[in-house]
Amino acid sequence: MSDLESALGRTHGSPVPTAAGTGPTPPPVRSARSRATERVIGVLALVGTAFTVWLGLWVTPPDRTQGDLVRLVYLHPGVAWVALYLAFGLAAVSSLLYLWPRTRSLFWDRLAAASVEVGVVFNVCTLVSGSIWGKPTWGVWWAWDARLTLTAVLLVLFLGYLALRRIPAEPEVRARRSAFVALFAVLDVPLVHFSVNWWNTLHQGATVLNPGLTLKIHGSMAWTLLLGFVSLTLAFVWMLLVRYRIGVLEDWLDANELDAALAERRSEGTGPGPAVPSEPVGVA
Amino acid sequence: MRYIVAGYVVILGLLFLYAVQIVWRRRRLTRAVARVVAAGTAHDGAGDAVGTAAGRHA
Repeated sequence: MSDLESALGRTHGSPVPTAAGTGPTPPPVRSARSRATERVIGVLALVGTAFTVWLGLWVTPPDRTQGDLVRLVYLHPGVAWVALYLAFGLAAVSSLLYLWPRTRSLFWDRLAAASVEVGVVFNVCTLVSGSIWGKPTWGVWWAWDARLTLTAVLLVLFLGYLALRRIPAEPEVRARRSAFVALFAVLDVPLVHFSVNWWNTLHQGATVLNPGLTLKIHGSMAWTLLLGFVSLTLAFVWMLLVRYRIGVLEDWLDANELDAALAERRSEGTGPGPAVPSEPVGVA
Repeated sequence: MRYIVAGYVVILGLLFLYAVQIVWRRRRLTRAVARVVAAGTAHDGAGDAVGTAAGRHA
């Protein structure tokens, strides 16, 4: 079992309901080590982000061209990096591994779903912060520019992915159709990346991931930018761990929904027993 | 400067809200699972006890 699988508490396929009368098997319990890892990553992400904000707003100098507006560079490219390359990239790789017969496991499907949901949040952050940066720089909140438009299309595509997952279906059917959609949607990522090179756009070129991989920012500004990238990456990993666990619990409740309902009815009939809520169980 | 502050508030605020939401969701689901497992276990215990008593009577 790899470190990633161990940290996420990998389960193979759907949880198997036990024989009638023996109650449902609890979902896999996370080890103390995986809980500690999650906590450490969360704290590091929080501290790193706080330092980035402090350096970005109070320590780094204003830019010669953009003035104080350059301070948005310490967060905006970082959230775009997480959304486009990490989250949607991981979703594509996981989807591919699900479709590959040798590696097919619902672990990859859950990982892709978790990654897309977190990625969508970061994608929204990218678009909104870009719009806020665009208003004082370009004079408009939004322009139908190649990069902006393609990033918005990416958001719509992955919102479609999340909507598709909500259609009731067998876990394997849902996983297969979601994987195809993720692989289709991720085709937009290279278009977003190269849009500033292929077309004349309002958006500036890449500061770090440009064709020559030459850093166009220096000194304390470069270090703050780097810290922002690292902190937001850690925040993504932490959110991914939490969101993956939600997927495991939801799948377990779905698989044991009948057992849950039966247990509820039985507890009603056997007099004084543990109180079971009347609310539907397993609905996220 | 207000655009910069707005940008920071939007990014950090959205990420914070999402983080709180997923932690809350996980906690709620963990409790739901624990309730189902506890209800199943309690019923089995009650069933076994009834079965044993019935056996004695027979």
